[in-house]
Amino acid sequence: MAPKPKDMKDDFWKSKDIKISIGEIEEKDTKKMGEEVPMGPTPKPHVTDLRSWDMKLLDRYEPFYAPFCDMCCLCTFGKCDLTEKKGACGIDSAAQQARIVLLACNIGTAAHAGHARHLVDHLINDFGADYPIDLGMNIDIEAPLIRTLMGKKPEKLGDLREVISYVEEQMSHLLSACHTGQEGSSLDFESKALHSGMMDDLAREVGDIAQIVALNMPKGDENAPLVELGVGTIDAKKPVVLCIGHNVLPGAGIMDYLDETGQEEDLEVCGICCAAIDVTRYNDRAKVVGPLSKQLKFIRSGIADVIVVDEQCIRTDVLEEALNKNCAVIATTDKMCLGLPDMTREDTDKIVSKLVNKEIPGALILDSEKVGEVSVKVAKILAPEREKLKFLPELDEIQKMASDCTECGWCNRVCPNSKPMMEAVVAASKGDFSKFQELYEYDVCYSCGRCEQECERDLPLMDFVTKVGEHFVKDEKFSIRAGRGPVQDVEIRRVGAPLVLGDIPGVIAFVGCSNYPDGGKEVAEMAKEFLERNYIVVATGCGAMSIGEYKDEEGKTLYEQYSGDFDARGLVNMGSCVSNAHISGACIKIANIFAKKPLEGNFEEIADYILNRVGACGVAWGAYSQKAAAIATGVNRWGIPVVIGPHGSKYRRLYLGRADKKDNWKIKDLRTGKIMDGEPAPEHLIYAAETVEESMPMIAKLCIRPNDTAKGRQIKLNHYIDLYKRYFGVLPPDINLFVRNDKDIPITHKKEVKDLLEEVGWEPREIPQEPSLMGLDGD
Amino acid sequence: MVIKLSNDRVIPWQPTVIAGPKQALLVTPETAELMIRKSKRPLLVLGPLVKEEPLLSLAVGIAEKWDLPVVTTGDAYKAFREKDLDSVAYGAIEIVNLLKDPEWVGVNGEGQHDLVIFLGCIYYLASQGLSALKHYAPHLKTLTICKFFHSNADASFPNMKDEEWLKYLAKMAGQ
Ligand code: SF4
Ligand code: SF4
Ligand code: SF4
Repeated sequence: MAPKPKDMKDDFWKSKDIKISIGEIEEKDTKKMGEEVPMGPTPKPHVTDLRSWDMKLLDRYEPFYAPFCDMCCLCTFGKCDLTEKKGACGIDSAAQQARIVLLACNIGTAAHAGHARHLVDHLINDFGADYPIDLGMNIDIEAPLIRTLMGKKPEKLGDLREVISYVEEQMSHLLSACHTGQEGSSLDFESKALHSGMMDDLAREVGDIAQIVALNMPKGDENAPLVELGVGTIDAKKPVVLCIGHNVLPGAGIMDYLDETGQEEDLEVCGICCAAIDVTRYNDRAKVVGPLSKQLKFIRSGIADVIVVDEQCIRTDVLEEALNKNCAVIATTDKMCLGLPDMTREDTDKIVSKLVNKEIPGALILDSEKVGEVSVKVAKILAPEREKLKFLPELDEIQKMASDCTECGWCNRVCPNSKPMMEAVVAASKGDFSKFQELYEYDVCYSCGRCEQECERDLPLMDFVTKVGEHFVKDEKFSIRAGRGPVQDVEIRRVGAPLVLGDIPGVIAFVGCSNYPDGGKEVAEMAKEFLERNYIVVATGCGAMSIGEYKDEEGKTLYEQYSGDFDARGLVNMGSCVSNAHISGACIKIANIFAKKPLEGNFEEIADYILNRVGACGVAWGAYSQKAAAIATGVNRWGIPVVIGPHGSKYRRLYLGRADKKDNWKIKDLRTGKIMDGEPAPEHLIYAAETVEESMPMIAKLCIRPNDTAKGRQIKLNHYIDLYKRYFGVLPPDINLFVRNDKDIPITHKKEVKDLLEEVGWEPREIPQEPSLMGLDGD
Repeated sequence: MVIKLSNDRVIPWQPTVIAGPKQALLVTPETAELMIRKSKRPLLVLGPLVKEEPLLSLAVGIAEKWDLPVVTTGDAYKAFREKDLDSVAYGAIEIVNLLKDPEWVGVNGEGQHDLVIFLGCIYYLASQGLSALKHYAPHLKTLTICKFFHSNADASFPNMKDEEWLKYLAKMAGQ
């Protein structure tokens, strides 16, 4: 049953004591909106307001804990060993894992909220609080998350301030719960982690909408331009400025300065990680070096003359590494000051002179316009001096140094990815560089540098990888479609029915970082597989870059081969980490546009709809950061399952369903009010796969939903069976769980499926018309 | 730099997986066999790192010699099926999740297992799975027979070079 609208006697915004002032949401709008749409039960939900939904999820998808550490060292009672014991404060191991997960989600959410707050304040400063939020003709539901969670459509940049204030308020409660002697239940910690993840989703929507509208980034444009990607696209003979991080503003400042001074052709501006994606959304002349896994290699190559760092996922030893290459560093946000002198108020030419004369090791400049001018000027002076092509040892020198290796094997042991560094060094000592080449390609070695720090002969192993790559791996020229931002309403109208009914087998979102178990190629291959199978494939962040770093036999990247439409066989780069909000946003829009579910204050009904009816699955194959933890947990609360790679098991917590427990899958058919047997669809909410071969059928399986039509179910099962047979050689042994009646059996596998059904004593069962978790126990 | 004690064999293969005071017992093939002999409902979990020869045959040999029910993880199922070894395919995480439930009926429906022997799962993932069982499955023991010392197991082979490891496995397979 749909939740009853909350009693809205008073004006909602007033009742929450929100000050109405210029730049914040105005009273008249609220009234207008209040008249137009009924308010659902949970506008601006507090930490505990959605707890009953969380408990429904957690009942079905029980937290699975794998402690990364047996101990807790958070307070001075500790350290406490929690192996089959409680800590001095009374906490047990499960609650402690959940607490650390909540802490990780809070860190991730704070990173996005801090980022969004900075963008909003800065852009309001530049464009004014009344600057309209307009995503163009084809997007009327501009901010599905804000509408659902705040109960209000944001009209102006100033409205976003209130959203971010709400996120910040919730964050302080959530962080507080991590203190010793607060929450004691693992499930309540999880409910808070889900709330934190949802706040993260909201903060990301704020950040991306602010930058899209104010900086005129593509507004859901399926034909966003292709931009250059790869180390090989950068002309090292020109002065090169490299941006690392996630905040577009410094990079935008650089592009603006180049444009204003007519120097567009004289310099190369490139980026690593999401800063790269967002700068290219701002100006498609910028170039993308690649994902996070390129960072240390690219710095070591010495190609960059100036490195501009902003926030998140930047190597914290970037200054030391840059100084070794005689390269200037400019820090640009309060998140990362690197001990550098604050030159924000200093005269530009003075900063330039201090930097090039090495009077200061780098500069902190908290003004993106000034960053633009300083970085360009410094790069132009430094470039001719630096002889950047001589920073790495020659191959014969590498061979000579490699012969010092004692074969102690510790480089391999400390490699988080267990890659064969020692074997590469030993082969190089004999003049064979092929093993280094294998480490270099697709960032199989993701240049974390741990091996190098361990080496008892102090061999510069990262230099070796970089030089071999530079020498042997030619043609590192790829492309990526610039991040297009949200999905258009018209696209949702087009795909809503086929997706919900199952004719389009699913939406698969490749998101997150590059801690891949075996290089980025696996992600591109997964994307290709699902594109060929008619899924809608969306991508963001490092995942979107890894997909672009792969070419087919004809030398084309997937972005060149597939359209950017949000439709079957579309490959949609939505943008950076913050653009992940448009993935849950698209699912919310399906509920709203296709199924006419009201959004405002109506979280639970929307999440319930997505969980039971929208076949979407996230894949974060290389997730490593706390932000990725928050993102995954956030989409989980909306009912979207996520598959992560094997490193994801180190997040300590997964949400796993138990297909063998029939009672766990009961659902209510909202049409008839009947409680009935359901099916494990989706089976897990967050799952870590060991290999890509294991993950592929799992991803296909996680797109199955209880309300698929018979035709849709056939299509989905066909893909699941096909992929499972490819990697396992047999029919999936659980196929009987997903066949509701004869009509669900895919024609191509009819006989063998029927044989299996007979073998296990399968019986047909009733199909719900409106499957739901609402109205079950606890409501 | 990690302190490399004289006995590298019992520092976890990836030294930083060390989780706390409780460490696995170092075992030889003889002790491992004793554990299998003593257990009532053992289970062998085979991962994708042993799906190629000679490890494939050695793993099959161990399963057959001790008549162990087998779970394969990752995509190991196919390789073992081609060697005519019956197994049940689960994700490594899925099987660990089932193993920590004392009520689970086990792969052959005869009740929860009391000893789980791991071979060939990705090291860091296995380490996480073993940690889950260390904390939440007091009803069973874990034994790892990879060439890596797994500190989160109850009992583990030491870190070894291939040559020695293959001998250990051959011994366990009665070859
Ligand atoms: S917070 Fe609790 S478990 Fe952690 S160290 Fe303090 S007393 Fe021990
Ligand atoms: S730099 Fe590469 S080889 Fe070295 S430890 Fe990191 S991932 Fe492994
Ligand atoms: S750590 Fe250094 S000395 Fe030891 S094997 Fe690796 S490269 Fe050789």
